Amino acid sequence: MAQRPGAERRHHGLRLGRKAYPYLSILPVLVVVALFAIYPIIHAVRMSFYKYLLTRPNDHPFVGLGNFIEVITSYYFKNSIQVTAIYTVAAVVGVVIYGLGVALLLNTSIKLAGPLKIVILLPWALPAVVSGLLWKWILNADFGILNGLLFALGLIDSYIPFLADPTLAKLSLIMAFIWKEGPLVAIFFLAGLQLIPDEYYEAAKIDGGSAWTIFRHVKVPLLRAVFLIVIVYETMTAILTFDTIYVLTGGGPADSTALISWFAYAEIFKGLNLGHGIALAIIIAAVTLVLILFYLRALKPEEATS
Amino acid sequence: MNQRIGQRIESVGLNLLALILIVFIVGPLVWVAVASIQGENELLRHPPRIIPHDPTLDNYNYVFTGKIPTAYEVKGQLRSRISQEARLIPAALKNSFIVATSVMIVNLVIGSIAAYTFAWQRFRGKTFLLNFILGSRLLPVMAVAIPYYVIIQTLGLLDTHIALILIYMALTLPFSIWFLSSYFSGIPKDFEDAAHIDGCNTFQALTRVVIPIALPGLVAAAAFAFMTSYNEFLFARFLTQSIDSQTGPVIISSIAGNPDASYTLISVAITLGLVPPLILAIALRRWLTEGLSTSITLR
Amino acid sequence: MRTKRLPGLLFLLLAAITVTALVVGCGAPSVGAPTAEPAQPAEPTKEAEPADQEPAAPTALDFVVWSYGIETIQDNIKNFQAANPLCQINLKDYSWLEYHDTMVGRFAAGDPPPLLYGSDHWLQEWAAANWLAPVDVAFPQVTDYSGELAPYALQGMTYDGHVYGLSYYADTIDFVYNAQQLSQAGFDAPPETWQDVWDMSVALKEQGITEYPMILAFSQQEGASIEALISMVYARHQGEGALFDAANQPTFAQEGSAAFEAIQWLKEAYDAGILDPASLQTAEIDQVKSMQSGAHTFTIFPQYNMAELNRPESGEFAGKFKIALMPGDSHSTVGYVRFYAMTPQVAAMGDAALDCAWGFLEYFGGKTDGSYTVVKRWAVENGLGFAQLPLFDDPAVEEAFGKWGDVAVISQQAELARSKEGLTPWFGAWDVFTRAEVHKAILGQQTTMDSLNNMVAKWNELAQQ
Repeated sequence: MAQRPGAERRHHGLRLGRKAYPYLSILPVLVVVALFAIYPIIHAVRMSFYKYLLTRPNDHPFVGLGNFIEVITSYYFKNSIQVTAIYTVAAVVGVVIYGLGVALLLNTSIKLAGPLKIVILLPWALPAVVSGLLWKWILNADFGILNGLLFALGLIDSYIPFLADPTLAKLSLIMAFIWKEGPLVAIFFLAGLQLIPDEYYEAAKIDGGSAWTIFRHVKVPLLRAVFLIVIVYETMTAILTFDTIYVLTGGGPADSTALISWFAYAEIFKGLNLGHGIALAIIIAAVTLVLILFYLRALKPEEATS
Repeated sequence: MNQRIGQRIESVGLNLLALILIVFIVGPLVWVAVASIQGENELLRHPPRIIPHDPTLDNYNYVFTGKIPTAYEVKGQLRSRISQEARLIPAALKNSFIVATSVMIVNLVIGSIAAYTFAWQRFRGKTFLLNFILGSRLLPVMAVAIPYYVIIQTLGLLDTHIALILIYMALTLPFSIWFLSSYFSGIPKDFEDAAHIDGCNTFQALTRVVIPIALPGLVAAAAFAFMTSYNEFLFARFLTQSIDSQTGPVIISSIAGNPDASYTLISVAITLGLVPPLILAIALRRWLTEGLSTSITLR
Repeated sequence: MRTKRLPGLLFLLLAAITVTALVVGCGAPSVGAPTAEPAQPAEPTKEAEPADQEPAAPTALDFVVWSYGIETIQDNIKNFQAANPLCQINLKDYSWLEYHDTMVGRFAAGDPPPLLYGSDHWLQEWAAANWLAPVDVAFPQVTDYSGELAPYALQGMTYDGHVYGLSYYADTIDFVYNAQQLSQAGFDAPPETWQDVWDMSVALKEQGITEYPMILAFSQQEGASIEALISMVYARHQGEGALFDAANQPTFAQEGSAAFEAIQWLKEAYDAGILDPASLQTAEIDQVKSMQSGAHTFTIFPQYNMAELNRPESGEFAGKFKIALMPGDSHSTVGYVRFYAMTPQVAAMGDAALDCAWGFLEYFGGKTDGSYTVVKRWAVENGLGFAQLPLFDDPAVEEAFGKWGDVAVISQQAELARSKEGLTPWFGAWDVFTRAEVHKAILGQQTTMDSLNNMVAKWNELAQQ
């Protein structure tokens, strides 16, 4: 279209501004992320190829994949992969069941749904170390309130040292995880449940469905997307658990709660082997990435809205 | 008739279940608050007293005023059951607050601007950049802990609020952007188009039209950013050395693990650490719940 | 398309950041910033000038400790500063359980404090990494004190022929029992062998006096658990080489070795309900509280906890806890030392800092006006043990110790104490590994021999790194 020269220049400027805008608008974010993602990754990857023992400060030979090999073949790795796998599966299954249960409960019109809705987010809002400390105190073998309660109720006749038994220690960790992460999962499921249009329920009821059939054939399928998101997120959270282990068990007893991120921490701060620690961290990152990509691929076909 | 009884039973059963859940969720919090006003001896009984016999606010007093709890003075403890660290709790919480608030503001400002761009603008490299930003969240903390330390030290920012703010920005922006861009893209385009027709440019459309409508999502994003920063432990532990910048979780975990602190004092520390996030969670629960719900349903 | 320029610009910017990062990064592998760099002083400095003409401002030195007895430390600092106005000491403390890891983090990133507490089991590790500075290089006069130190303590502060500090306190790991409960069970004398301990425990259990007669602080987070284990090994072994020979080679992985017997005994005690299962998650303080409440009769812990157990208000059994010589053939035990150390940071800060540092070290770990003031204060007020031999003859110390322990037994046990064998730069890392191995043997997840073999394998792996 024919325009006056001045207008064209103004338009030009406007369009240039418009074109530049997207990049300018995300620039600050990119700078921060680049600084704290690119440099550390490069530094870390570089370090992982060198032998890096803090007790040998002047001796950093290049070892190529040596660190990675040593890490993968080490006892700690096998142990923590096992422990992490068991813990993650149990924790994710537990938290999904718990969250779904709570969500279903919140979705009803019982009297206590109101108070439950108020308190539901509280555990999630706490720092992980604080909730870990809370549970450590509650599970204390000599003075813990859980022992006290069970004893007073006559369910046990002597205090149980929860954190001194490998299986119970794992369960304690899982319980702390469910207590803290459950609320988030519940909210997610509740949102999903409330999205299900009433017509579906009506239709199912007309077809003579009981609560269970409605659950199985209406709620669960329509919640698939939510399931997947929850599972992805919670799996990642479970694998990367660190704060809670730090305060609750320190990896014990007998390394039964030495998850993979704990192993990385121990290699660096107790073994003083930075090469190993960073190689392990890179492995963890790679595995988590693969897991996420895997889930995202599984998620794609389900999305009707994308 | 039978149906009504059946419904009655179901309702009672569900209420019972809800009650158990409420106890499970709130019980630990109540217990630690109760423990914080009990004397040490009460806590050491088998089983511990749930209703305090002789409640004392001495330990809270110690934290805020430094007056040593009388129980200890009388007994003349050799290994004093107090730790200097407990006196640092208020300062630590203040640090947490400052850092978390700053991160929240930053997230709101640059995060929402960026999120809006990702939601509605088309430009080259959009997917790559979005994935780049989101992917940065995958780094396990352990791999980057020491390089982060080196960056901060090189910048001369060790033991400052800014160090934590910068790092938490890197931690929270990806989620804020993902969340807000999903949220924004759920707002019907009509609003924005109407704004454009009225002569607004992109930035004005954002501030005058979209933000007011997107307020719940923004509050939710702000709350998440605040909470993530407030609750973060690992980097706070490694990047801070003194109470100049040590945050709540660091001090509290240190006290709780300190063999020189009495159980009562530890409970006080945990309770004080709980209170701010709890207040926030209760006050903002509607926004948070709405925000979380929307984020998942918009996917 | 016109848009080509801008994405290009953006990617260029990203690239620029990357390159900058690389350039900055290429200054490091500076993680572990060893002593070569003159590090900046940790304080917003009040620089000290060689006090020629101008009145000098005080030199400020950070002193990092773990959180025990903070009020006493503050008071000592106050007294030190009154006598040394040119020196200012700033106290910082971390929890004992986090101390090692926190310091490693600071060292690794080149941010060491000038003065700090050290412990013998990390000395080798930290000195090999050049994180600590040998005291006798900067202050040769420190060796004047060496003759008055218990041998195990001096050994624990020496690396590569150099002395790395002055002793803060030194203690032995003692076997402690509740005399009242023991006599209730019909025994008047403490156990002399581990068989005695077993028999007494069975009696205590059968008579219902204690459900689990023995408790130990074997939590995987407890740094002193290795010391308790070593004491049980030493007591069963005559002479040197109980764990490692002179060349630091492991000697314990054989059936019938002292280490084998010690761990095997623990496993059997666990199975028989003599050793409290909670031991696997008990740390020192809970152990003491538990003993105090009378829940157990026997335990093993650092001697200074006796003062806590036997103080009059501690509870029903106050004053009834006694030390016995460590059961076993040799009655030997392990002694450990915690000491005041300094880092290369001090030298980097200049002469005034060095002067202050020596003044500090001598005030706290050495003599003032001919007497070990601070060490004696810890002994008398808190019951902390000491490495400085002359204090054994000090009447004030004797009287104070006599309130919670039998001085004769204490000094006898001290004479039989040996320092840890195998102190090497990787001892700390090995220690952490062994905790889980001991747990597994006790729990029966693997045999004792398996655990010992794994421990040897780990030792060799670490040694060859």
